[in-house]
Amino acid sequence: MRKSLYPMLLALALIVPLLAACGGGATGGTAATSAPVAQATAAPAPTAASAPTTAPAPTAAAEATAAPAPTTAEATAAPEAKTLKVGLVTDVGKVDDKSFNQSAWEGVQQAQKDLSADVKFIETTDPKDYQKNIEQFADANYDVIVTVGFALGEATYQDAKKYPKIKFIGVDQFQAKDDKHPDIPLANLAGLVFEEDKAGYLAGVLAASVSKSGTIGAVCGTDVVPAVWRYGEGYKAGAKSVKPDINVQVVYHSDVGFDKTFTDPEWGNTTGLAMIDKGADVLFGCGGKTGNGALQAAANKGVYAIGVDTDQYLTLPEAQKAMISSAEKLITPGVFGLIKSSQDGSFKGGNNVGPVGLAPFHDLDSKVPADVKAKLQEVDKGLQDGSIKTNVPPTKPS
Amino acid sequence: MSEKSPPAPAAASEEPRPSLASIVGEGARGLLVPLLAVFTAVVIGGVVIWLTGTGPAPSDVKGWPGFLVQSGLWRPLLAYLGLVQGAFGSRQALSETTVWATPYIFAGLAVALAFKGGLFNIGAEGQLALGALLAAWIGFALPGIIGPLPTIVHVPLALLGGALAGAFWGAIPGWLKARTGGHEVINTIMMNYLALLLSSYLLNGPWKDPNPSNVVAQTPPIAPSARLTPIFEGYRLHWGFILALLVAFAVYWLLWRTTLGFEIRTVGSNPKAARYAGIAVERMIVLTMALSGLLAGLAGANEVVGLNYGHTLSFNIGYGFDAITIALLGKTNPFGVVLAAILFGALRNGASRMQFLTQVPIDIISVIQALILLFVAADAIVRFLYRIRARGTKLVLTRGWGG
Repeated sequence: MRKSLYPMLLALALIVPLLAACGGGATGGTAATSAPVAQATAAPAPTAASAPTTAPAPTAAAEATAAPAPTTAEATAAPEAKTLKVGLVTDVGKVDDKSFNQSAWEGVQQAQKDLSADVKFIETTDPKDYQKNIEQFADANYDVIVTVGFALGEATYQDAKKYPKIKFIGVDQFQAKDDKHPDIPLANLAGLVFEEDKAGYLAGVLAASVSKSGTIGAVCGTDVVPAVWRYGEGYKAGAKSVKPDINVQVVYHSDVGFDKTFTDPEWGNTTGLAMIDKGADVLFGCGGKTGNGALQAAANKGVYAIGVDTDQYLTLPEAQKAMISSAEKLITPGVFGLIKSSQDGSFKGGNNVGPVGLAPFHDLDSKVPADVKAKLQEVDKGLQDGSIKTNVPPTKPS
Repeated sequence: MSEKSPPAPAAASEEPRPSLASIVGEGARGLLVPLLAVFTAVVIGGVVIWLTGTGPAPSDVKGWPGFLVQSGLWRPLLAYLGLVQGAFGSRQALSETTVWATPYIFAGLAVALAFKGGLFNIGAEGQLALGALLAAWIGFALPGIIGPLPTIVHVPLALLGGALAGAFWGAIPGWLKARTGGHEVINTIMMNYLALLLSSYLLNGPWKDPNPSNVVAQTPPIAPSARLTPIFEGYRLHWGFILALLVAFAVYWLLWRTTLGFEIRTVGSNPKAARYAGIAVERMIVLTMALSGLLAGLAGANEVVGLNYGHTLSFNIGYGFDAITIALLGKTNPFGVVLAAILFGALRNGASRMQFLTQVPIDIISVIQALILLFVAADAIVRFLYRIRARGTKLVLTRGWGG
């Protein structure tokens, strides 16, 4: 057996590059995580998420005493047993996906930092594990469980009913009462949803303000998805609000199936180039990889590009030099705000509207005149206090 | 076995009907290398966890020996403890492991049966997708066409339909191989793309759930009469798992107790000798691929009928490929495949708890699976590591063009 040590060592040696790769990945993830999510015009939206925290609600005390029995038992053993425990379950994907999963995890990590919460995540590898993964946290008496993505909506709803003492936060899970879900809104289940039309509106204001040709475009996924429709129409409305006579071309990729509409960069690229040929000098790409194709076209032709959902300056480096901003769903502060509200007693079930805003201008900061920046601030404020309306219906009228 | 081995038919005819015990026995003796392969993969996986882990020790390791906590060795230990707890630690965990193992058993048997016939079926993924698709259609649409069906008819019909769809999809590359010599590896891979694109078309188009609130590429839910129920209330373990075990026994019976099985194995060991002995080799190739596809189709149909109660695009991605590892780990023995499928089901199922306890990347499971495949496929490494001499018949993985 002693001789067989050599092959073992050899095998170990072979593993080392693998380890290096893994380690590198992890470091990259952490670096991205620690990068501050700067917000240009974003400010907390009028939601439960941003409820004033300076005035602790009287229910907070009641909640502490209502803590589950095991916690009380632990309290005698260890002083830190009162620690807030927050678990996160991703959709099929990783916590460093530079998208929703990562943004939500950053919100949970902020709770670790600011609220000294004990935080953990589970990455789902197959949809059939949704419920099981949520219950890992539920059975360990976690206080708050965050589930990321529309697809986990059903499993989250079922577990919110099964574990009424635990607060659930469903990112992008619209809470709608229907035959199968008669008891929505549940008091312990908050759906974090976003008003994409407001983000699109801001993008439209920016695009119209920096356009010199008087023609701007948007390349979107299918308008059957309400979020995409709201982005596109909000963009149109925002642009018209600045320059009523501007030529806004919004094209939805509604001619293909759902598996293709967000993953068709070639179509996005061609459509974007066609718009540029017709004089468009700002392109808004809203629709996953399809939109990215249009952003790429903008970068190649040297016109401005506006990304969607997250700060795409960071996630789409190949279009970086053209990225003037992105219409963002601010998931990180949205998730953090809801976690915090579970602490001060202001947590409320049902739909919670999370903040939206524009990402920083990054390299193109100098190309945005001061008066445009001021205008964006003003519009953002107006959208929040309700003095400015996008007038976009929640879904496409059929 | 030496190069001058006697023709397979002669060797086999000396012992035409090995008993069940001898098949199981052969499997048990053959367990050594797969077990060592799994062990080695787990050890190396542990080293990977040990070296890549970050973060402080959780309270779970309170009371563990100090050197384990300081050296970071608690991490792989706790990870594997979590894996075992998550896979077998409670009734719920056991039930979930069978849920994961069920499609793996069917698909692993599919690939193993093809191996026995000397064919490498990489197309289990596509056959499985097609089986799921047709089973779902029989489940949601058929009652609307021919009227309501009783469960006793509807469930078997959906399973059978899915199985036949898989058989049809598998028979095509089999026929191409028999008629033109086109290699089944290439053709089954191409058939995978066809199956997935066909699924995509149907699930986005004619078979899409028309419910206005639905934005996903999925069929409507199947009729209650087409559903296999869980065996115990509150657990997802369903009758499909029992069916999988019965099918494993049926595959054993087919391969070792019937003339057809004898012919399949003979063609697999030596097609030239099989032809000389009067076996219609071309017919056997088509039949073997069809049977293999049938089992894979059953894997997909069973997920629809027993677990998901509908079919969604992008469900079951990768089962057909994991099945190749499972068939090899099970040494293409039906009972070996069952054990390997349960192991893989346990790895996948236990992964959640492993990550919950230690926050190690969930991809570590894929690393372990890949290492198992490496050590099973290149078993010379394991034999060299542990100084085991080769014995028994060598598995024919695949043949050259037109072979």
